Amino acid sequence: MFKVSPLRKRQFIGGIIGLVLGSSLFYILTLDVTEEYVSIGPMNTGHNELSCFACHADAKGNLMQQVQSNISHAFGAREESVDFGTQDVTVDNCLQCHDRPNDRHPVYRFSEPRFKEATKHIDATTCITCHTEHQEERVSVENINYCMNCHQDLEVENDPLDISHVQLIAKEEWTTCIQCHDFHGNHTYEVPEHLKDTIPMQKIKAYFNGGEDPYGTVKKYIALSQEEWLKTLED
Amino acid sequence: MKAITKIIVPVLSICVLNSCGGVPEEKTASAGEEKVFAVEEVLEMVAKENDVTRTLYTKAIVGGGKKQGMKFDEDWRKDDVEAGPLPALFLRGVATSIKKSPVPLGLYLGSDFPINAANKFVGKQANLFETIKKDQKPQFFYDDDQKLHTAMFADLASAGACVTCHNDHPQTSKSDWKLGDVMGATTWQYPKDSLTYKETVAVLNSYAKGTVDIYMEYLDEIEAFKESEKPEIGDKWPADGKYLPTPEVFLDSVRKLSSYETMKHLVAAK
Repeated sequence: MFKVSPLRKRQFIGGIIGLVLGSSLFYILTLDVTEEYVSIGPMNTGHNELSCFACHADAKGNLMQQVQSNISHAFGAREESVDFGTQDVTVDNCLQCHDRPNDRHPVYRFSEPRFKEATKHIDATTCITCHTEHQEERVSVENINYCMNCHQDLEVENDPLDISHVQLIAKEEWTTCIQCHDFHGNHTYEVPEHLKDTIPMQKIKAYFNGGEDPYGTVKKYIALSQEEWLKTLED
Repeated sequence: MKAITKIIVPVLSICVLNSCGGVPEEKTASAGEEKVFAVEEVLEMVAKENDVTRTLYTKAIVGGGKKQGMKFDEDWRKDDVEAGPLPALFLRGVATSIKKSPVPLGLYLGSDFPINAANKFVGKQANLFETIKKDQKPQFFYDDDQKLHTAMFADLASAGACVTCHNDHPQTSKSDWKLGDVMGATTWQYPKDSLTYKETVAVLNSYAKGTVDIYMEYLDEIEAFKESEKPEIGDKWPADGKYLPTPEVFLDSVRKLSSYETMKHLVAAK
């Protein structure tokens, strides 16, 4: 049926091999067992057991439809573009497992206009500002002085701390906050009253990197596992 | 051969691509429906519902409950505290529930003399709050950064419990509040400038659901009381004794108090 010119034979065979290899790779890399090769990096602490689909849901339509829709959008024939391959991961994905009523700093609070200035310095309206995924750690934020963006005027009545909060703030000792208080308030533990008893920064940093929890093991809320999350979708 | 590569292949490719059809365009629930309310009207409606709900909760549940020995605490969620939410935290509970709903409505509470320093107004909100304190009229603006229509409504000291709790609070920044004072303002946000009838009802429903959600959390908290006496949950109110209404009874009372105003708007638009 096809007549291949002898001069183009190698080119033709190369093309066929490329097509077969490409198709095979495309198929193999969509299998669950190859997820770790597709991932852009190891999962963060606590997320090791998650499958890709837990966050990266398939985009609507098949690949051809997505290509066509986006070309149409590029030529102005369609109002909205569509996700290609997988849907964008948003804060809603995180909250499906991590949302809870007792969060001391829930992301939604920072949408209010009065946090506009603060969110310019640290965008607390989204989880990934501090918890960038695929970094094999717990907290990815670089500077641990983020409390300074909202709590400059803090005064604690009958301050129980030996060096008062006002003094610590005046000295700009912003890393001391996290040495007593976990950001989301999810641990049940005795808050120290003497600065010398606070959690050393080394332990905090180790915890942020995925190490032992220095605030203790008693948590008020445990995030949903993948199985528990899947069950919520059935309801 | 040249004709194949230059004409037939591109034409075939376009045909194959086009034959799949695109991803169906998402039509919003409101597509094709008439926009009947300006966002300001809807936010006024839901703010009115909020006024009624908060006043009822503050007077009948917190005020009445305290007389029966029930406790309400800012740390009500803590494991070792057996108490219910104070009115400001009740509102925050409603706001959390709304945020979890598909309705893009935002609700926040702030003041110039808040108990919690993080709730102090700054910038544009602080300026508008000064005006609200003078005339108690709502203020509307479009937040360019967030692309959200924003409204602020006066939050009045409508019950004795508001005044006494705030004046006596150890962390209060003002201790001479009086009944009727503008103690703060609720801030509401919505992304569209006008809403359909369905969208308006969805906003009102998400607020009502938020009320039920936080009230049910309070009842769940009571269920877990170990040391404190548990009030009986039914159709009676704290004014009658150690009782609390069920969420349905509570919501029914809100509806009775607010339905006339809300219905008037909805029916007029119909």
